[in-house]
Amino acid sequence: MEIAWIDGKPATRDEALRVAGDLFAKARQPFICGLRTDVSGLRAALALARQAGAIVDHGASSSIYGLISAARDAGAFLAAPAEMRRRADRVLIVGDDAGRVGADVLKLLAETKPDLGVETRKSGRRFLALSRQAVAIDPGSDISHLDCASKDVVDVLGMVRAKLAGRRVAEGPVGAGAVETLAAFLGEAGFAAIVFSPAEFGEIGTEMILGLAGDLNDMARVSTLPVVEWPDAMGAALVATWTSGFPLRVSFGRGAAEHDAQLYSTERQLSDEGEADLVVLVDALAGETSAVSGFARPTIVIADDPAGPSAAKVVFKVAAAGRDHDGVLYEPRFGSFVGVTGKNQSGLPTAAETLDALAGTLGGTAAEAA
Amino acid sequence: MLTRLKDGHVVDPANGRDGEGDVFVEDGVVVDPPGDGRTADETIDCRGLVVMAGAIDIHSHIAGGHVNTARLLLPEWHRAFSARPGETALSKVGWTTEETGLRYAEMGFTTVVEPAMAPSSALHAHLELADTPIIDKATLVVLGNDDLLMSMIRDGESDAAIADYVSWTVASSRALGVKCINAGGSAAFKENVRKFDFDDVVPDYGVSSRQIVKTLQKAVKALGIPHPLHVHCNNLGVPGASSDSIAATIRAAEGDPMHLAHIQFYGYGTDGKRRFSSQGRDLAELVNSTPEITVDIGQVMFGQTVTISSDELRQFAGRGQASPKKSIIFDHEANGGGVVPMDYRQKSYYNALQWAIGLELFLLIEDPSRVFFTTDHPNGAPFTSYPDIFALLMDRNVRAKWLDALPKAAVRMTSLPEIEREYTLAEIATMTRAAPARLLGTVDRGHLGAGAVADISVYRPGEDKAAMFARAAYVLKDGDVVVKDGTVVKRRFGRALTLRPEPDKAMKTRLDRYFDDRYGLKSRWFEVPEGAIGREDPFQVVPCRA
Ligand SMILES: [Zn+2]
Repeated sequence: MEIAWIDGKPATRDEALRVAGDLFAKARQPFICGLRTDVSGLRAALALARQAGAIVDHGASSSIYGLISAARDAGAFLAAPAEMRRRADRVLIVGDDAGRVGADVLKLLAETKPDLGVETRKSGRRFLALSRQAVAIDPGSDISHLDCASKDVVDVLGMVRAKLAGRRVAEGPVGAGAVETLAAFLGEAGFAAIVFSPAEFGEIGTEMILGLAGDLNDMARVSTLPVVEWPDAMGAALVATWTSGFPLRVSFGRGAAEHDAQLYSTERQLSDEGEADLVVLVDALAGETSAVSGFARPTIVIADDPAGPSAAKVVFKVAAAGRDHDGVLYEPRFGSFVGVTGKNQSGLPTAAETLDALAGTLGGTAAEAA
Repeated sequence: MLTRLKDGHVVDPANGRDGEGDVFVEDGVVVDPPGDGRTADETIDCRGLVVMAGAIDIHSHIAGGHVNTARLLLPEWHRAFSARPGETALSKVGWTTEETGLRYAEMGFTTVVEPAMAPSSALHAHLELADTPIIDKATLVVLGNDDLLMSMIRDGESDAAIADYVSWTVASSRALGVKCINAGGSAAFKENVRKFDFDDVVPDYGVSSRQIVKTLQKAVKALGIPHPLHVHCNNLGVPGASSDSIAATIRAAEGDPMHLAHIQFYGYGTDGKRRFSSQGRDLAELVNSTPEITVDIGQVMFGQTVTISSDELRQFAGRGQASPKKSIIFDHEANGGGVVPMDYRQKSYYNALQWAIGLELFLLIEDPSRVFFTTDHPNGAPFTSYPDIFALLMDRNVRAKWLDALPKAAVRMTSLPEIEREYTLAEIATMTRAAPARLLGTVDRGHLGAGAVADISVYRPGEDKAAMFARAAYVLKDGDVVVKDGTVVKRRFGRALTLRPEPDKAMKTRLDRYFDDRYGLKSRWFEVPEGAIGREDPFQVVPCRA
């Protein structure tokens, strides 16, 4: 089986490592991205980045950055899905993406009833969707729908906050009745959970949703369940945070980690404005690839299924973490990392091993540079 | 290889040493002086230097979900952490696992306990600890707001069944002990309860905080876990209620060992026109007269920091004082928690008195083997402030200078100016070495007798005690010289110290079903598989008592 290619032609792994090392030697600004890998792979990627002075981001950081930026600007109430499964009696679904992105969370909420809490147990679980599209959940569930375009959601929630603060509320995009309905729905909760996709609302909208939860907690108990399309981006951000102090979008170009959410984003680095002149794409989890495309620059691909980006200069086929080898992955239902056993141990090198080997070609091992 | 630390002032209270002499090290452990005239392969000249065992920090929040959230919340937070402000572009440097290990080592600390690991965050915590270089680590796992424990108490389940559950939790999470944080308080907060005392009951369970604490204390004892139940009391920080809660908890120890965390935050009375006064003297007296109790202080120092706690109720209540104005509150299974940034200001009456109360407790609690050196990092102050605290304990002139800078109103409310005590080197070594090792059951550390792990700190003594403790002259970790002149010269990885009780099979089966049925979670997600850590030999097992 072929496991390495140079310019699209099969090569030995050692040859591929050598060519990849040469690319690093010539590069002024390497960029390590994709970052779909397990904790070992993330550690190795960050160590390589430190050693090579690279910029690091995940291919789907944009799916989590609305949440990260909003939370670190203004704070948040955050819940674990498993706790809300037992406790939430009112679930507000905000926006059009939550139904799709948060299908797993909504399913586990729809299939169960609150069993913790004197108040929450009394009335069972009700759902209210503030969205344009109806949300499809378990047909037995008690769900109502308030029609609201995605672009108007934040305004409407702002009006709910104003109303709860005792201010007069002007006629808005969904009418005063809807604002009343929302306020009443949240007001009758023993414990309310707000489910939304931060990527749909960006930083400002997410801040409004988190702010609503914050206001409500002055009197009642409310928390939020942000759902993200690429949970492994969250895992990568957490590892980057304890390793570099920052949740990805980090540059080691000047030695110490520097963070800039715009400058060091995948979107910018892969655009014409990006400083990157060498791209290392890591894509070694089972399932879909995250949306990283446009390889105008020399590229090293480290992937479990490297069929797609054949335009790459160097390609390594590696095992998929959690499928082809044991790994530690971020598990959104748990809200933390879990050990996952590879059911079909392929014996292929892992992404971590490949990144370490690559670091080795630069002189010194990645582990020493970490 | 035989290494001789020659002619140092050896301060090793566990072995009754306090005078000039040698310490010999071979294969990572302290050995007796060779009797056969064998000469050392390597000699470290310690003339004029102070030689102690490596220091042990029993309560410092250095890893796990909440700590990492603090990093996320405060990208600007590094400033509070700068050891040498101005030297580097600190505005761009974060607070990392790497820096944690290096900064601790430079001060001569070689073992640090992360005291608040949620069972659901165990793997995360251990992954961070594995990335923390040089020092050895350990964790305390948090119970006491979890549905299962409270249900078991409510349902009158046997002590044995409860001990089995505690044992499973300790084993799965690879903890060195058990901590209980505002027992029942977080669970009550989820029911929108805003104040929770020691004898209040958690709605829906009918179980009081006292019952939870006593149940866990009993289980820890029954399992032979060396470290006594580590308790974070109710009403932290609330004037009056805090001191009532801690007094009630101390009385509830009832002759069995119990450790109370960061008691400075409970030394608050309601006297004076600001309704905030020191209870330091009374609290110290109560500790002095209750021999089964050990405490750590949680000293407050001035400056920007962040509070990280699994006391969700307290963190929620404290969010109004957040500075900068932002906080993250978690409604997780069991404890939940919160991260609230805090700026302790020297000119604030309240913060100044908090600082003084911590020192009153340090100085008025007589037995240095029952009071432990902590800032509850980073809750009272970052651990990088330790050298200044050593100076404050060892030198009353330093205290006088600090007191001069405080608001007079605060100084009038503390007995600190009248306290003459100065800690000796032997007392410092007891408090930071010998006693913590005993408290944790790690018999191979905290001393320099034969057989001890060769974790050794060597300091250059001087008038300026802060300078002395900020930069160790040498630090040996497992016999390797890792620090010279306050700078790390060799980077290596330590291990996590864990208990490894054998959990009961029936309990494991029960928990598989419980987590699946109630939470939709797999019980193995709570486990920390050895292979997941990604380091060679990541754990060292500490035995339970028979
Ligand atoms: Zn603490």
